[in-house]
Order: sequence, then structure tokens, then C-alpha cells
Amino acid sequence: MSFREALESGKFVVTAEVGPPKGTDIEEMIHHIELLKGKVDAVNFTDNQSAVMRMNSLAGCKIALEHGVEPILQMTCRDRNRIGLQSDLLGAYALGVRNVLCMTGDHVSAGDHKGAKPVYDLESVQLLRVVDALNNGKDMEGNDLKGSTDFFQGAVVTPEANPLEPQLIKFEKKVKAGARFFQTQAIYDIEKFKEFMKHARKFPVKILAGLVVLKSAGMAKFLNNFVPGIVVPEELIEELKAAGKEKALDTGLSICARHIKQLKEEAICDGVHIMAIGMEDKVPEILERAGLL
Amino acid sequence: MIITKKKDFQELMENIKNYQKFFLVGCSECASLCGTGSEEAIKELAEALRSEGKEVTGGFVPKTGCQVLGTKKELKAFKDALAETDCILVMSCGAGTQTAVELFPDKPVYPTNDSLFLGNMTRFQMFDERCSLCGQCILDRTGGICPVTTCPKGLLNGPCGGMQDGHCEVSPDIPCAWVRIYERMKRLDKLEEFRESVLEAKDWSQAQKPRSLSTREKKEKK
Repeated sequence: MSFREALESGKFVVTAEVGPPKGTDIEEMIHHIELLKGKVDAVNFTDNQSAVMRMNSLAGCKIALEHGVEPILQMTCRDRNRIGLQSDLLGAYALGVRNVLCMTGDHVSAGDHKGAKPVYDLESVQLLRVVDALNNGKDMEGNDLKGSTDFFQGAVVTPEANPLEPQLIKFEKKVKAGARFFQTQAIYDIEKFKEFMKHARKFPVKILAGLVVLKSAGMAKFLNNFVPGIVVPEELIEELKAAGKEKALDTGLSICARHIKQLKEEAICDGVHIMAIGMEDKVPEILERAGLL
Repeated sequence: MIITKKKDFQELMENIKNYQKFFLVGCSECASLCGTGSEEAIKELAEALRSEGKEVTGGFVPKTGCQVLGTKKELKAFKDALAETDCILVMSCGAGTQTAVELFPDKPVYPTNDSLFLGNMTRFQMFDERCSLCGQCILDRTGGICPVTTCPKGLLNGPCGGMQDGHCEVSPDIPCAWVRIYERMKRLDKLEEFRESVLEAKDWSQAQKPRSLSTREKKEKK
């Protein structure tokens, strides 16, 4: 069953994330792809995440397909203009990619090429409309395509944004622009997430809760202080502290598994998106602890 | 106005090291408000050049340095000083410098400033960029606040995920343009418009360089 079919069938889906390497050595990426094979419904391939230059997302997607894993192509608007984005979308479809995640993209100032010219010729809402046009056999100027795409297109949302209302309005704009599924920024407060889901449930879209594994109390504090839209509640930080340095990671994995279990059992959302960030090999263990394997 | 900043003096000296006699041209408009092209700035630069062993044959502040014919007329009074000089230094923006390039085809012309942006003066000699002359104004759709300029990504349909407590991911010193737009439209009871409005991709052909405009024909018809 494809990722799209799984979501549409009402199955609680699991996606994970792999960042292509900085360089041409794809051994570790293939290792992570093999590790996730059969355990998740699809794997996101990041697009020069945090504006750090790496191998492109499309190559990662193609390699995943060759290894029998369904990819989700992450596409940001930072590095390509409207011609480049559309052209890459057509190429991705021809290579077998069926899922695309449309995002604006971190600003170049966050990355390792700070003097780069940021493009943002389009932004996430407009990119979603472009995908919708390509799916309907037209480019964004209305010119006919010889063979259309049939992408399952998604977007991102930050349920803990402050202030929240402009973010929720943008979420609605993304829905109207054709987003079919959303992967959220990392969430840690399930009760607050339920509030967001109450709003999201008014729209005909599937929501995958974003989860980032906490490795330590220090990491939790870092996320709170430096990563926009992520709020780790104090009680989780206390739980990590109480576990002590040696058991902190184990506790972080348990917290992640516990959240997945609750999200699924209470049918709060339609699935989870696990961003392991360097701990891709722990994803199967998290899923086991959550009772999903 | 056009915001300018003085170039580093050593960099300027390196640029003009092959010349000895200078004529300085300021501007009474933007460059005077920026303190880069005023009478006082001319005096300061003349002194600094002399202390480096250079000569200054003269200098003046044209009314509007980017107005080519007006500046040409004003320069007539400085014929002798200009004849003596072997290099013109322009202390306004890049437009003013290129006025001088047009007026002095046989003399080298050097800028003393870097031209930065179209700015609003918020306090004395403090400037903010609010308009980037994109050629297709959308202020009518964004509560009068320009996201093309004041959002580092130039986003057209709401804040990105990098917004934190109303500030930008690029710097906490930058207020999020889209939160400002949201708050203003909310105050004006236009939240419904904010919700419904989806801006199309911009037509950047309107900003294709070099741009020119002539409204003469219209006036002649009158």
C-alpha cells in the first residue's frame, strides 16, 4: 500500500526523515533507507535542510525508490525560481516520485553559504498551487504539459507558533492551495496539540504529528531557546534530568514512543513524522516501544 | 530617500591613489540627510584629502545630484576649478555618481559612498528599508506594510515557520512582517480580507533592469 493509499484508508501512518549526505558517499544514507524499509510508510528526503548545502533531495528519493522505500520529496523555495521548481517537479515525477512536501525553506543565513542569494521566487502556498496545476496538466502559466503529474502534495504547519492565528490562517491557505497532508513542526505537549487538531479537523486534510527525539535535557532547552515553534514542556525536561546522563537518551526514546502510542490510541491525528536527526537507526526501536512493529 | 554610507577612507585612498587634484560633488537631497554629501561632509573630506597630501580645487552641493541637466547648469559656475582637477569625487548615491560620469566624459569619476537602499528616516540619521521598488505595489493587499521588503524571504501569504514570538528567524531584531501585517489588519477589522487574500507569484518582469520611464508624451498632449 502506498503512503497515499495508507493515509486515505485511515491507517495510522508513520514517516521518517533522512538527510542526504554532504558529499557523494551514499553508504550511510542507504544504510538508513534499508533500516527503515518495511517499518515506515514513507521517508522524507530533506532539501538542503537548515540551508546547509548537501546532495539534493531528488537523488535521495531516487535511491530510496531503488531500495524499495517510498520517498517524500521535500521541496523548498529557497534555491530555485519558478522555472527550476517546476522543471524539478516534472523530473521527479518521471523518476517515480509521487509525494512532495512544499515548504518555504530556512533562510540562507542559517546555513553554511551565508552569502548565497536567497531566491523565494515562489513560497509554500504558491508552490502548492503549482503542484496542483502540474497535476492538472498545466504549468503555472497555464501552458499545456505533455503528460501531467499525479503528485500527492503536502505541506508543513507549526502548531505551537506564537502568535498562532496568522499561522493557522496560513494553514488554511495551504489547504485551499491543494495540500492533502501536513507534517507538523515537532510537538511535545499532546494536550495543546489536541487543541490544534480540533481546528485542523475542520479541513479535509491528513495530519502527521512531527516528533523529534529528545537526547538530553540540554537538547530540550536548546530547542526551547533557539528553534522557532518548538516548545518542550518543563515536566519532560525534568523527566530527562531525573533519568541522569546515561539514561537520558533511553528516556527520550520512551517519551517519543509514549507520544506515538497516545496519538494513535486516542486517534488524535492521522500518523506521525519522526525526525530522528542523526539517530535514524533508533527509529525501529521507537516504533517497537510504541507497539507499532 | 536613497541611503548612502561613506566608504572606508583607506579604501577610497587606494582607489584614487593615481590622482592628485580633486573636485568634490555632494548632493542637497538624500546624501545631505544621510550626512554623506552635505557641505559639512565636503569640508571634512577636503581636509582629510589635504592631510594626505592631495589638492582640492573645489567642491559644491548640487540641489539634486541625480537631475542631470540641473546639475550641469549648476556646475557652470565651477568651470575653472573643474578645469584644474584630474579627478571628480562624487559624495552622493550611485545615481549622482553616474550624473557626473555623463557630464565629464574625459575625467575619471569615483564614488566616495556605497549606496544602500531606499529608506525611511526614522530618527536623525537612522534609516529603515520599507520599499524595494519592485515595480508592482502590493501594499493595497497587505495592510500597507511591504512583505517583499520587510520579510527577508519576501513571502506573500503569511509568516513562515521561522517566526518566533513575533520575530524573524533571520534576526530577533527584525519584527516578523507577517505578524505586523496580521496585527494591523486585525486592528483595522480586516482579518477576513487577510484570511481570504491569496497573492499570486509576483511578476518580476516589472523589475527587469535597466528600467526607464517617460511621461513626456502625456504632458505634451495636454
